[in-house]
Amino acid sequence: MEFALNEEQQVFQRSTQQFLKSKGDLEIPREYSEGKEEVLDDLWIGLAELGYMGITVSESYGGLGMGPLTLVPILEEMGRAVIPGPYIETVAFAAPLIEKYGSAEQKEKYLEQLASGNRKFTVALLEGNGELSPTNINVLATQKDNEYVLDGEKILVSHADFADTLIVPVRTGNNEQDISLLIVDCDSSTLQMEKQISMDESRKMIKVSFNEVAVPKLQLLGDENTGWEILQDGIQGLNTAWCSNMVGGLDRIVEIATEYANTREQFGQPIGRFQAVKHKIVEMKMNLETARSLAYYAAWALENNTEDVVEAIAMARSLITESFIQSASDNIQVHGGMGFTWEFDCHLFLKRAKSLENYLGSPEDYREQVVSELVGNKESLILER
Amino acid sequence: MDFYYTTEEEKFRDELRQWLVDNLPEGWIEGKREIPQDNEGQSKFFRDWQRKLFDGGWSGISWPEEYGGRGATLIEEVIYEQEMARVQAPPQINVIGVAMVGPTLLQIGTEEQRERYVNKILNGEEIWCQGYSEPNSGSDLAALQTSAVKKGDKWIINGQKIWTSMAHLADRCFLLARTENTGKKHEGITAFLVDMHQEGVETRPIRSIDDQHIFNEVFLNDAVAYEADIVGEVNKGWKVSLTLLSHERTGVARQIFQLNQVFDELVEMASTLKKNGRPLIEDPIVRQNIGRLRAKSKGLLLNYYRNLTNSIRNGYPGPEGSMDKLGASELGQEIYSYALSLQGSVNTLWKENAAVTAEWQYEYLRSRAYTIEGGTSEIQRNIIAERILGLPKDIKY
Repeated sequence: MEFALNEEQQVFQRSTQQFLKSKGDLEIPREYSEGKEEVLDDLWIGLAELGYMGITVSESYGGLGMGPLTLVPILEEMGRAVIPGPYIETVAFAAPLIEKYGSAEQKEKYLEQLASGNRKFTVALLEGNGELSPTNINVLATQKDNEYVLDGEKILVSHADFADTLIVPVRTGNNEQDISLLIVDCDSSTLQMEKQISMDESRKMIKVSFNEVAVPKLQLLGDENTGWEILQDGIQGLNTAWCSNMVGGLDRIVEIATEYANTREQFGQPIGRFQAVKHKIVEMKMNLETARSLAYYAAWALENNTEDVVEAIAMARSLITESFIQSASDNIQVHGGMGFTWEFDCHLFLKRAKSLENYLGSPEDYREQVVSELVGNKESLILER
Repeated sequence: MDFYYTTEEEKFRDELRQWLVDNLPEGWIEGKREIPQDNEGQSKFFRDWQRKLFDGGWSGISWPEEYGGRGATLIEEVIYEQEMARVQAPPQINVIGVAMVGPTLLQIGTEEQRERYVNKILNGEEIWCQGYSEPNSGSDLAALQTSAVKKGDKWIINGQKIWTSMAHLADRCFLLARTENTGKKHEGITAFLVDMHQEGVETRPIRSIDDQHIFNEVFLNDAVAYEADIVGEVNKGWKVSLTLLSHERTGVARQIFQLNQVFDELVEMASTLKKNGRPLIEDPIVRQNIGRLRAKSKGLLLNYYRNLTNSIRNGYPGPEGSMDKLGASELGQEIYSYALSLQGSVNTLWKENAAVTAEWQYEYLRSRAYTIEGGTSEIQRNIIAERILGLPKDIKY
């Protein structure tokens, strides 16, 4: 029994922190959102140099061949600095899916490039009202010779402008789950992209339109009409990764709030001496540590494909999302008026938290999933040993 | 990162599990858990259980082998608590003696004290209580005023203790008294081992909101202790009291494992009770609440394992124990409160009229004490703020 990061993971944590500090820390999302998009290019070169793009790619393609647990410390650090860019989509979604479901040609074509940082991925998932369900996937893929011709529109595609390749669930049949995943290269397709203005400018949201976009059939990931199932697999990776990222955010919030409460004086003393303030920060700390435990556990369950992996991720996702929003809000309260300024960093976390609230499902959806798993699976009711 | 136990640890678990099957009262594991309600019957029941544990080698497992323990590792202690929670074993009446007084005497007691007391602690022959809190020193424990004055070879003790669990059944008391007034309240305190069966000690019951008698007031009127009853040095009792508390290594683990067990029972209840002809567990709002409690219970358990890992790595427990305690006590209240909510309008019926089992009502009421005893939630938050986060210390007087 050992429930903590190991030596190697701690090394990843420290080196990520050092690297991000050298690149400007919280200045990174600020500069990015103010239009200096080159910070993202610079960041990516550095991440690739560190070998971080290939963590989940197998060694034969130049990666490290590691799993979700190794990503945990890196993602926490990225969350601490509200880092922009499609890192999660690339390493926690695209890489594992191509490794698992990709054809030999696809692996050859993508994995080495992905690991070296030369190909960035994102996922073009949502449509219409943003709900994630099979019936809401209506970008139509019509077969024509050796190609699919795509028509329709995806929304909230994060960093589509920066990505080289999109993974796109499309409709390939009339049955509800006749969905397939396509790998769509941005450079060889005529995609139309339009920025969607979001409060959280550290995640750039883009509307991607497909107007008779031809994609070779070779770009099909997995079998036709099995896309929804594969997607669930991918979403587990996405959720687990976002959980650790949010934990990083929570960690930074507690740090910032503590620092402020120690230095800001009113009534002749640091405000952190008042229990109303002090205990509020303790609440944030309690939420942080519970969140961290659940995120570790989710990553562990995913890496080891345990029986309770679905529940583990759903528990983490439902609790962490809400804690993040709560703590980000409380952090503003602790900062008083200064927390309401653009100048202070508090709002970066609130906006990130709120933008993730319903992404890939609401906290309610995930709580429901927890209970379905629990009641459906009586075995898991036995006390954990 | 892993949640596996070694082969030896699993062997330890199996051995204990089998012992419990063989030794718990008939029908206990299946749910027939009847404890006598009268003082005498209760005392006998608990003493018998303590004796059974001792005879089986399952009392004071962390004690060194030469004193009758097993020299158990921290992980083995945790497994012990898991297994005890799993079968909802009866509480150890002498938990204060076994978990705290005994180990403290082994660590800093005199040879004579060890000889005189430790074996009787382990076999339950002598039950111990803890004389700490006073009417005017609860959270501010160091402000205690019970005095001990030296007269010849005797120390004469006067004052009052309160919230003394099990004092009415106890034979001896680990008691803090003021032996000097230096003006600094942490100084001048001394730890005594006091005989409860003497004229100067009077115990009066406190009836608590759950209609139980666990707590007592203890009045000390010229009670006597001897030089040989002092633990550590005179006037250095505050440090001794901290040593005592440091031995309580797995109390919070016990609580956390029990809570996860209770959560399972809550789900069971929600699957059985009906509203509009349908099991409550099918109600979407109930499911939301249960899902929330599940994530919190699991989070609490995992936090504990993470802190445990740190304790093992560092070789000593950190202040994170306060986070476990705070989390467990508040979640406990939440779970029991929700359990009663689920029972509908009959939710206050208890004792023989309880709608499900009176345990829910008893524990609902009992849970109000969780956030007060052993350091209130407010005190825990101060500890977390000051010792973990480094926030300013409270204004102290």
